Amino acid sequence: MIAGAWLCLLAPLAGALLITLAGTHLSRAAAGWISTLSVFVGFAGALVAFLQVAGESADERSHTSTAYTWLAAGKFQVAMQILVDPVSLTMMLIITGVGGLIVWYSMGYMKGEDEERRYFAYMALFVFSMLMLVMGGNLLLLLVGWGLVGLASYLLIGFYHDRPEAIAAAKKAFLMNAIGDAAMALGFFLLIAKTGSLDFSTAFDAASSGQLSPNTANLVALGLLGGAVAKSAQLPLHTWLPDAMEGPTPVSALIHAATMVTAGVYLIVRTHAIFEAAPNVQHLSAIIGGVTIVVAGLIALVQWDIKRVIAYSTMSQIGYMFLAAGIGAYGYAMFHLLTHAFFKALLFLAAGVIIHHLAGEQDVRKMGGLRKVMPYTHAVFLVGALALAGIPPLSGFWSKDGIIASALAEGGVLGYTLLVLGLLGGFLTGAYTFRLYYLVFHGEPSELVLEHAGGHMHEAERAHGHGEHAHGEGPLSMLAPVGVLAVLAAIGGLIVIPGLWEPFLTWIDGVAEPLVTASVTQDYATSAAAVALAGIGIWLARWAFVAGRELVPASALRTVFEHKFYFDEIYDALFSRPAQLVANRLRDDVEVPVVQRSLGEIGTGVKEAAGGTARLQSGLLRSYALVIAGSVFVLMVVFVAVR
Amino acid sequence: MGNVLVWIIWVVAAFACVSTGIAVISFTNPFYSALALIGNLASLAVLFLLASAEFVAAAQILVYAGAVMVMFLFVIAYLGGRADAPWAGGPRWLQLGAFVVGAAILIEVIVALATKASGGLSSDAEISRSFGSPAEIGKLFLTDHLLAFEITSIVLLVAAVGGVVLGMKTLAEDEA
Amino acid sequence: MLGPSTTWYVAVAGVLFGIGTTGVILRRSPLIVLLSLEIMLNASNLALVGFSRHFASVDGQIFAISVMAVAAAEVCVGLGLIVAFTRRNMALDVDTLTELRG
Repeated sequence: MIAGAWLCLLAPLAGALLITLAGTHLSRAAAGWISTLSVFVGFAGALVAFLQVAGESADERSHTSTAYTWLAAGKFQVAMQILVDPVSLTMMLIITGVGGLIVWYSMGYMKGEDEERRYFAYMALFVFSMLMLVMGGNLLLLLVGWGLVGLASYLLIGFYHDRPEAIAAAKKAFLMNAIGDAAMALGFFLLIAKTGSLDFSTAFDAASSGQLSPNTANLVALGLLGGAVAKSAQLPLHTWLPDAMEGPTPVSALIHAATMVTAGVYLIVRTHAIFEAAPNVQHLSAIIGGVTIVVAGLIALVQWDIKRVIAYSTMSQIGYMFLAAGIGAYGYAMFHLLTHAFFKALLFLAAGVIIHHLAGEQDVRKMGGLRKVMPYTHAVFLVGALALAGIPPLSGFWSKDGIIASALAEGGVLGYTLLVLGLLGGFLTGAYTFRLYYLVFHGEPSELVLEHAGGHMHEAERAHGHGEHAHGEGPLSMLAPVGVLAVLAAIGGLIVIPGLWEPFLTWIDGVAEPLVTASVTQDYATSAAAVALAGIGIWLARWAFVAGRELVPASALRTVFEHKFYFDEIYDALFSRPAQLVANRLRDDVEVPVVQRSLGEIGTGVKEAAGGTARLQSGLLRSYALVIAGSVFVLMVVFVAVR
Repeated sequence: MGNVLVWIIWVVAAFACVSTGIAVISFTNPFYSALALIGNLASLAVLFLLASAEFVAAAQILVYAGAVMVMFLFVIAYLGGRADAPWAGGPRWLQLGAFVVGAAILIEVIVALATKASGGLSSDAEISRSFGSPAEIGKLFLTDHLLAFEITSIVLLVAAVGGVVLGMKTLAEDEA
Repeated sequence: MLGPSTTWYVAVAGVLFGIGTTGVILRRSPLIVLLSLEIMLNASNLALVGFSRHFASVDGQIFAISVMAVAAAEVCVGLGLIVAFTRRNMALDVDTLTELRG
């Protein structure tokens, strides 16, 4: 079992190294295969480990395996160890499973692109980094994985390095993540100062037994929350996620939907002991999640780029996960993470099929009527959209409603506020998702669609063969993973049916006991309300589409939403401009006059001093004789005086 | 009586020394300066004799006044009119500095002597009759100071060669 | 010792040395400079002889003779230089020799 876990961790790394070292000796297709297979081998390892752990009783499910002592500085020691327990196994399966499907998909999507091998190496690197993050046996290894996924994200967002927008987006993502990393590091420093170690057990025991003073616990939890907020693109560190859509679509699916952005949720669940020792911070994370749900949903209502709508949707859904983790419903947080991975990856990949088919077009205003042209894609996209909106019996319904029910069960001001935000979010989700659906698939086919449609009027269930879009909706490597994900999105939620069968919740509970459990009544009550609201949202979207109107009629509101609540502008004015000013000032007042000129000044100064000294050499012999005589006199005086 | 005589001779010789010295540096005509120097050398020889340095006094007259100064006079005669140079000139500070330095050194020596050189010059030692005699000098040159003797001869050789080389007419000069 | 003590001899030597120094720095003709140099050398000779008498050691006189020999050599070379100047039609003026100018 441990061998399976190590295999899971190291296989993608091996794949990445192999592709990197082989360079151009590998063919492009071979690079794709190596990358995909390495991730699937990792999945096999994770599966083996899972099957073994599932057979154990709840108490024994936590395993640590240490390879060697990595860092030893006095009393502070950090080992290279992995932790295999239900939470990490869930993440491992998602990462390698969904990740494997996405990398397989990329083989078709990225075919023929520039520098394909680099892409596949980066994807394998990312999978390894994410696995390191979730399997790390102590906080420092978690941080290592954290930083590496940030790096992989930067590399992959900026993959099309010829485009300045892509490079700017990559920089933005990295910088905002760095803010979070710094907060986390500060929290870790405090933890080392107070407990002397970064091991999970030491830190969590100290937190739960009250060893940490409230202030310390608050600060550490705040640091962790800062990192989580940055990585998961929650308010206020969210502005990088829409820009990250500059990367290739499979990257958006893997990193910015299924895995990396959920790392924040994983962090909170993993370190829940620290958060429980700092309840204010935990509630803060719930509030952040709640607010993000609504804000992101509102912005998604007016976006025209298909990927950006899905990106804001991601932001919103992760808000749900933060909400759950913030009130202590860890099981539901992980459950929503799981189902979200399925349907969000599905939506992104389906969007990718469309974009690939339309030769790179992403503006939905140019799409329309794709229902007839791409029936397979239409079917899977509909499944994903319904799952996202939370329509039973698809997966999103089970997970999202569990969260909303937990909010109701929490009660109090916090609980009821979160309940309202969650229900509102449900309404908005239905609205923006189906606005997108109708704009893309319904109505008359647009010009662009007709252009690309010529030649594939035959409606095949599955497109056959690989090849250009002239032969079908897309190659097999693209359509097959999408199909698998659609199945998962449809039935994946059935592992938690409240009141009847809750194996997944029990699975997670062993690691993180929930602080709040909803009763069955509450569950079904909120479910009804949520589904009703989602239905209203969907109906509203359909009505607006059919009537040819905008969903957000008030133009002032629409402008605010379109500008994403002016967050970018505010940050630019608050941080970017002053920093630029300071930098310019320093350059003009310090760098140029002092540093640069001083170099010139040194030269001129030396020349002038030399010139001055040269005037002593007058060439006049008599003056030399005078000086010599004078020196003799001085020496004589010295000799006499010294005696 | 003997003492008084010695004193008188000494004072006269010293006076002649200093005045001829001043004369050397004040005459415009180099010929006169050279002659004044010969006088200086002669009075110095008298002083040497009074200090029981007979051989040195003899050498002074024979070598210095006899050979070196004669060489000087030869050259001055050869140069003729071209030997006349402006008396002084150049920067003011240089002229002033010359007098200042000279006076400074003079005063310094007087001061050192006045303070009795910390008692270094208190008592004169006794000397024998053969002090300063050629035999004495010769003996020392060939025993204690043999190296100085040999090196001095090499220096003289080098100077002779140098003088010849400087005086040679080079081919380029011939053409010119 | 008959006559003045060593102090007086050394005093006269000092006076002569001062006069010689003044002459070297003051005059512009190389010939006169050489003559002044001779005065300085003789002054040191006088001091040496005086001290030799004071300490009853003939070494001082030996030194004086060596100085005399060296002075002769130096005068020889110096006069050779002056003759070489004249050969090349250079002015016999120390102030014109400024090629050491930096």
